[in-house]
Amino acid sequence: MIVADKKPIEEIIDMVKGYHKILIVGCNECVTVCEAGGKKEVGVLASALRMYFMNEGEKIEVDEITLERQCDHEYLEEIRNSIDQYDAVVSLACGVGVQFMAEKYFGTPVYPGVNTCFMGVTEERGVWSERCQGCGQCILDKTAGICPISRCAKRLLNGPCGGSTQGKCEISKDLDCAWQLIIDRLKELDRLDEYEEIAPIKDWSTERAGGPRKVVREDVRQ
Amino acid sequence: MTLKEKIASRKFVVLGEFEPPKGADFSRLTKSANQVKGRLDALVVPEMANAVMKAGSLGGCAFLNAQGFETILQVCCRDRNRLALQADILSASALGISNLMAVSGEDIRFGDHPQAREVYDLDLMQLLEILSNFQGGRDMAGIELTGAPAFCIGSTVNAGAIGGALDIEIENLERMVEGGVQFAITTPVFDLHRFQQFMKRIDIEKVAIIPTVLLLKSAGMARYIDRNIKSVSIPSEMIREIQKAPDKLKQCIKTAAELITHLKEMGMAGVLISTVGWEDKLPQLLDAAKL
Ligand code: SF4
Ligand code: SF4
Repeated sequence: MIVADKKPIEEIIDMVKGYHKILIVGCNECVTVCEAGGKKEVGVLASALRMYFMNEGEKIEVDEITLERQCDHEYLEEIRNSIDQYDAVVSLACGVGVQFMAEKYFGTPVYPGVNTCFMGVTEERGVWSERCQGCGQCILDKTAGICPISRCAKRLLNGPCGGSTQGKCEISKDLDCAWQLIIDRLKELDRLDEYEEIAPIKDWSTERAGGPRKVVREDVRQ
Repeated sequence: MTLKEKIASRKFVVLGEFEPPKGADFSRLTKSANQVKGRLDALVVPEMANAVMKAGSLGGCAFLNAQGFETILQVCCRDRNRLALQADILSASALGISNLMAVSGEDIRFGDHPQAREVYDLDLMQLLEILSNFQGGRDMAGIELTGAPAFCIGSTVNAGAIGGALDIEIENLERMVEGGVQFAITTPVFDLHRFQQFMKRIDIEKVAIIPTVLLLKSAGMARYIDRNIKSVSIPSEMIREIQKAPDKLKQCIKTAAELITHLKEMGMAGVLISTVGWEDKLPQLLDAAKL
């Protein structure tokens, strides 16, 4: 899933200051799972804003809604009839949802309510960590299902650097060395001989470094 | 007089573009530079123009500097992060390079290594910020340097922008000037009327504008550029003249020389002559332009 983190309330206050009526829009997918932008967080943010502006003696109306997703036309359309009532929208979806909303409702200011961080997993409640950088050319088949691009600090493709110590990465003792994990798992799978193969120089053109990307699937296009 | 002094006093400067080779043999670079020794104020050494891998600007400048040429280093955001950029700028200063141009760089996909990762850790405005910190004796992290470099700083400007794009270009140029840019080299100029419209928007007191004069090689090349490069337009009359000339090379040189003369008459701060591989024709061109 896409993992997001909460934005400091002060930042959001700065964005919406001066508006009279705003809509906070949550998203029922990834940001709900990572507890940054679901229905619950929409409610908490709305109350905090109402409270803040009331204390400041400013009148602001804050409405709430949570859509199934903000990255699909279908669900974003649900607010078409009400959007014009609002001076601005704060979207608690990931950056994708915020932008899709802004594209759709061109004349309405749309503000991001979360910091979108990465594609990752829930390790345990309250702990999320990165697993994929969407490089567009997956090599997990070669690396025992562990991604060195997203998990090795240096994105090394041919084994650990000299800084790997006791299974930990040189940048932090709280971070597993991705290459230690890869080697351990290759051993477990009895495939350690594959480690001998030199990974070819990576084609980064399919990654974000190659420019903004698009997937077009003629077979499913309507 | 150094390039910096000439630019500051708005004396007409003549610059030449000298691409380092794709390879370790720099002898051709030396040979072509020596052919015009004493006739150019400085040599601009591009940093992997069009994202085509070759020897870099720093190496080229250091090499030419050692042979007594004044050079202009290109510092490019595309391939280096903030550490590498700062390191190169310090090295350049220590190697005696005193002029530099901050550039964004063409996209990697246009070049011969499209699978490479682009860097763009900093953009042009941020790179200029580093340079100004540097001249104040501090690096980007605010740490004091042992010895602050001092450069005459330039950049590029798209003289072919029109409409809204021109407004943005002018705005950006103003920002760059505030960021310390003293000269700006333009995209190749052929259409003087269009160029005059561009110049009307510039405060030449604040920044020295140095148009690029590109030595055409054929009518075909001219037509290609005119059709495919948005920022450059070439008058059809100019193309026709090359096409019907019995000696095409002579006509191409005449065209470039006339452009230089006109630009000088217009009061421009100088010209950059770009010959894209035809550096050996530079002496002839300089003769024709009486430089
Ligand atoms: S190899 Fe690429 S696609 Fe596969 S997990 Fe890593 S970043 Fe994601
Ligand atoms: S210690 Fe391991 S994870 Fe960290 S940079 Fe080195 S190889 Fe990568």
